[in-house]
Amino acid sequence: MPTAEAIPAQPFLDAIQAAGVTDIVAVPDTHQRSLIEALDRAGEPRFIQSATEDEAVALAAGLIVGGRRPLVQIQHAGLYACVNHLRGIADDGRFPMVFLIGLLGRDPDLLPGEHGSSMVRLAQPLLDTFGVPHFLLDRPEDLDKLAGAFEVAEARQGPVVLLVGVMTN
Amino acid sequence: MTDTNPGPRITVDAALAALAKRRDQQVVVSTMTASRPWRDSAETDRDLICVGFMGGASTLGLGVQLARPDVPVWVLDGDGSLAMQLGSLLTVANAAPCRFLHVVFHNGVYDTSGAQPILAEGNMSFAEMAKGAGYAEAVRFDDIESFDVALDELLAVDGPVFVELISEPTGEQFSGSRGAEQPLAAGERPRPSALADIWPKVRDSLAADE
Repeated sequence: MPTAEAIPAQPFLDAIQAAGVTDIVAVPDTHQRSLIEALDRAGEPRFIQSATEDEAVALAAGLIVGGRRPLVQIQHAGLYACVNHLRGIADDGRFPMVFLIGLLGRDPDLLPGEHGSSMVRLAQPLLDTFGVPHFLLDRPEDLDKLAGAFEVAEARQGPVVLLVGVMTN
Repeated sequence: MTDTNPGPRITVDAALAALAKRRDQQVVVSTMTASRPWRDSAETDRDLICVGFMGGASTLGLGVQLARPDVPVWVLDGDGSLAMQLGSLLTVANAAPCRFLHVVFHNGVYDTSGAQPILAEGNMSFAEMAKGAGYAEAVRFDDIESFDVALDELLAVDGPVFVELISEPTGEQFSGSRGAEQPLAAGERPRPSALADIWPKVRDSLAADE
């Protein structure tokens, strides 16, 4: 019995738009390719690409200062690359910042913590270490968590992570 | 350390004075060598600081500009900081903010840690990198008069502008001490940084004239 299933791009996009996201700040993630294509077609929210995940975090913080509601879209490897900016800007800076992080290579029959590969396995423990709340998007019904993540981020004035469990389709 | 970039240099104070006399409603993001003297001399409720995440100044400023294209953004960056996030030159140029001044104080050393030279010092140009990345304008100055004369024209450019200032090291070193630290209680969240106190004021200032 699979634990997770792919979330189609269109309802994903609908949920992002319904959550009032103004900008996607992204380092393109293979795991979320169909969602990126849907975002590109839709044109809303605005798609802003950065060279590194560090830059994505800083850029999103600047957008928040300017009154926008960004969503940072990266991959788990990018999370590992940007932990100092996650700590120094998003958390210590008290920015209500929501991340969408793809778990590329996740076996849908396993929970992330059951994986032998460090890429999938370590994302949740790392976020726990940093005290960052995180939620798995493992099926289309989980899209309800997207708007909720912004509420949590606002309430705690800090980062919140949504982990995309299976490659979007 | 041997000076690998001999020749004239601009003092940080002189460069900041040239900028300060043109200060209006811009949001200014400062970091490293320039941050403290800038805030001591010209701080307003539109200043952001970048401490504890080297290399983030320009993209923090870029976010503000993309949110508020009507408000000019100045970034006062360090050479060692920019070296940590060279990809940010591409990110800024690709986003093409219309009123964005990126000043890099190129003193050639990691000042606060004992003046170790930055990599390839004397053999590279940040302005050439910015130009190659696609900034609308990228120039290098080693004397204050030329910078001061050119500044108004640069500020009028429609697009991201990069200014590399060959500057004097300040000799300022970080003692490593932040003073007495109160231990966290079990389960308590780590304490906020100075940026957490500052950015809501900038947000409110921007919202007030939207």
